[in-house]
Amino acid sequence: MAVITLPYRYLERLTRTDRKTILEKVPLIGSDIERLEEDHADVEFFPDRPDLFSPEGVARAMRGYLGIETGLPLYPVKPSGISFTIDPKLANIRPVLGAAVIRGVSFDDESIQSIMSLQESLHWAVGRGRSKVAIGIHDMDTVKPPFRYLASPRSRKFVPLDYSEEMTMDEILEKHPKGRDYAKIVNDFPLFPLIVDRDDHVLSFPPIINGERTRVTINTKNILLDTTGTDRRAVSVAVNIICTAMAEAGAAIGSVEIEGVQTPTLTPAERTVSVKECSRLLGADLTASSMAELLKRMRFGAEPAGADTVMVKVPCYRADIMHDWDLFEDVGIAYGYDRLESHPPKTSTVGKPHPVQVAMVLAREAFTGLGYLEVMPFTLTSEEVMYARMQRPETKGVLRVLHPITVENTVVRTELLPLLLEFLTFNRHRELPQRLFTVGDVVVDCRTHQQAAGVSTHPDADFSEAYASADAVLHELSVDYTVRESADPAFIDGRRGDIIVAGKRVGVFGEIHPAVLTAFELEHPVAAFEFDLRAVPGYPGP
Amino acid sequence: MAELTQNEKRLLAVLEKEKKADAPHIAGLLGATPEAVVQWGHLLEDKGLAAVERIVVKEFTFTDEGKTYAQNGLPETQLLRFILPGTQLADLQKHEAFRIGFGQLRKKKLITVVGTQVSKVPGASTDEDESALKNPDATSPRTKELIRRGILQECETVRNVIAITPTGLELAKKGLDLREETGTLTREMILSGSWKTANLRRYDVTKLPKKTCPGKIHPYQRIIQEMREILLDMGFEELYGDIVQQSFWNFDALFQPQDHPAREMQDTFYLRETLPLPPGWEKVKAMHLSGGETSSTGWGGTWKEEKAEQCVLRTHTTSLSIQHLARNRNPPVKAFAVGRVYRRETIDTTHLAEFEQLEGIVMDEDVSFANLLGILREFYNRMGFTSVRFKPSYYPYTEPSLDAEVYIDGIGWIEMGGAGVFREEVTAPIGISYPVLAWGLGVSRIAMLRLGLKDLRLLHKSDVAFLRETPSLRRARGGI
Repeated sequence: MAVITLPYRYLERLTRTDRKTILEKVPLIGSDIERLEEDHADVEFFPDRPDLFSPEGVARAMRGYLGIETGLPLYPVKPSGISFTIDPKLANIRPVLGAAVIRGVSFDDESIQSIMSLQESLHWAVGRGRSKVAIGIHDMDTVKPPFRYLASPRSRKFVPLDYSEEMTMDEILEKHPKGRDYAKIVNDFPLFPLIVDRDDHVLSFPPIINGERTRVTINTKNILLDTTGTDRRAVSVAVNIICTAMAEAGAAIGSVEIEGVQTPTLTPAERTVSVKECSRLLGADLTASSMAELLKRMRFGAEPAGADTVMVKVPCYRADIMHDWDLFEDVGIAYGYDRLESHPPKTSTVGKPHPVQVAMVLAREAFTGLGYLEVMPFTLTSEEVMYARMQRPETKGVLRVLHPITVENTVVRTELLPLLLEFLTFNRHRELPQRLFTVGDVVVDCRTHQQAAGVSTHPDADFSEAYASADAVLHELSVDYTVRESADPAFIDGRRGDIIVAGKRVGVFGEIHPAVLTAFELEHPVAAFEFDLRAVPGYPGP
Repeated sequence: MAELTQNEKRLLAVLEKEKKADAPHIAGLLGATPEAVVQWGHLLEDKGLAAVERIVVKEFTFTDEGKTYAQNGLPETQLLRFILPGTQLADLQKHEAFRIGFGQLRKKKLITVVGTQVSKVPGASTDEDESALKNPDATSPRTKELIRRGILQECETVRNVIAITPTGLELAKKGLDLREETGTLTREMILSGSWKTANLRRYDVTKLPKKTCPGKIHPYQRIIQEMREILLDMGFEELYGDIVQQSFWNFDALFQPQDHPAREMQDTFYLRETLPLPPGWEKVKAMHLSGGETSSTGWGGTWKEEKAEQCVLRTHTTSLSIQHLARNRNPPVKAFAVGRVYRRETIDTTHLAEFEQLEGIVMDEDVSFANLLGILREFYNRMGFTSVRFKPSYYPYTEPSLDAEVYIDGIGWIEMGGAGVFREEVTAPIGISYPVLAWGLGVSRIAMLRLGLKDLRLLHKSDVAFLRETPSLRRARGGI
């Protein structure tokens, strides 16, 4: 999530109102206030609104929402006369380039920090960790146009940002912290992306690092923005968001010529939307003019065009407007969710529990009647608990997660009994007898089904108790079963029985083998049983 | 006043006559042990009916050696008696008391030895030692010497003297029911009718016997069941399904772009397994690439079948909702699911890699975002949260989206769940042409608040003592 620092004084100046009003209303446009500090607030904005990742963007939105300045913000763009060429060899490496000139900036340490943080937030939300979009910001007066975006040999040397020595691009990937972080994006290519000026000075090695030469300082007056990537729309959104934020801060935006095209234009997109559709979606009674007013408060250009239609101009920085409903959400936000007349729909339906849940509820009832206490173990476990300690071979079809977090979470459980024994281990210091059960999901071969299991431990726990308890639960669930001697290695030979339904083994009961008890560090005998709930009559098939 | 047991009454009756007596004496009268009598005495004392006085007496007893000397005299006395004028040392050595007696006599300077000649000093006597042996006195140095020599030993005896108090006397005078008490009401007594005359022993009703623990469902399960019942009451059909889902249903069908961060390896549990794509997957692909036939632009970029085929542990129960909708395209549909979902999170006190999610959907011809707010308000009210408010939020597959917050006394506004209307990009490819209202919430969050847990892991690695102690009914202010 993007947490944006909003310095109060700057925010107040840009929004043209006091901090109290702003902070009270800022959650209502979609944000969470994380912290209120003495001189600034840290506010989290959602990833679909990267245009709010700067104080300038927030101020622009809040001026509209608070009615201080509504409608479409205009950003004039003058051609800068600067041009870029793109090397065709970049087609499969990183083909898309966006750029702009931002003139007349006045930086201090805080505003440099602010634009760096906008850049980082955009890398995260729009750039997918720089792979889709990477942004470079340069002091334009340190280099000379025209600029070239090249596919360069990896042996090319330059001084990367924060270093004083020249390094090859390969060395940068190996030694520079940013190189190590992002190497995986470019490492497989024979040539690397590189932006150079007329005199072959390096501006940037996208998406990794800028050159030290073009470092932005408090003395920087004019900025050259480069944005490279793999997706034209994402690159253009990033350029638009940075340019409009800088324009809000007072800078003048100039376009550049890339392969003969002037960019950026910062012009709005247009959409024609239906008032009726919007009213129906929100459940609010809107007219074309009330809807247009609400849209203007969200900084759209909006004019009624007939009774049911509004012509909308979508500002170039609104990356999230993909569909008419995205506009309707903004109408809803401007209207105020709490002002909508909320009442449940009239849809008449009859509640119906899932048969699996019905069977599980009945099983729980039977267990609790026997004095068993329910536990709800994790479904992720380890081969060690599931099989090794149980002296059992691995169940065929056990699922392994590809990237487990810990050695305790490597497989999805295929049985419940081992987890109940583990529970007895956790509770060794608690009073006996302990009778525990669990009913829930297990997964075999990607299919989920449900099992039920119980354990009882105390000095007199034995085969008879296991048999009687299993019988009681099975009886309550109308399972018609027979028993034959089991070969389950988790139990003591001669004190274990398989539960057979329609000729198929569906469960097991008996006295847990002393070696298994030892493996679970248990000191008292354990009577245990487990069975597959698919044996319950009427149980839904897969 | 608490009830008297049969034994207490018997003791009180004896004391009424004796007023004050030694425990062994009373024990004789009652045919009980003195220890039991003292115990009953203390119980009466607790009720203010008697007083037990504990008197500690120091006594001297003879050791085995001492017992012989008490009969025959101390060794030195015996030897002294044997010494006559002219007694030779050699004669004396033959005496059985010589070994101890001779040393004592020399030490006490009662004899003199000149050459082989032993003679008493004038007036030699051991009478005072004999007296200290027969009538020991703790203050006498001679008695102390005898203790040191292991002839006498000192021991404490405790006397318990029980006396009736005026209150006890008053009560006893009113008359005590001294009939024999019966502990267990037996089948024979019931059948024979002897229970009519039986004096059933009375219990102290304020004294809790050893605790017993009922079998019960997990407190967390109880919260899940409560939510299920509310939704069943509200007319929702329950869904239940596979933990393992294809990325297609978990992400793609929900319009989550293939390069979305939530789909990365560090956030989702991927499995090696793959499943073939369901019929109609091309429409989902078209939606991602260009927005299909809707007003959407789609995500653009690329869409790979292999990515959609890969299996994951479901990251939300929405994968069940969307498949239910794909199978049930005709309105109305009202369905919910409670199920475990998985996120590849580092496990700590407030984050688990697996947790329960509740999710509901409503699809019908004329349902609106305002109706969604209505459902949420109703659901949270029934859960016991009376103050509910909504604010804008963002979820990739809903538009508009919101977060619901409830007010809890002493805590404030707490975010309880997210909701929204399924995007057309989600519903159009599966052939749904009406709005679908959807909401979800983390069940464990409510459980944590209601059970007062500081560590979410305890829901799944529970202490048996916690389960035994947590009452089935647990609800207080504001739903928590």
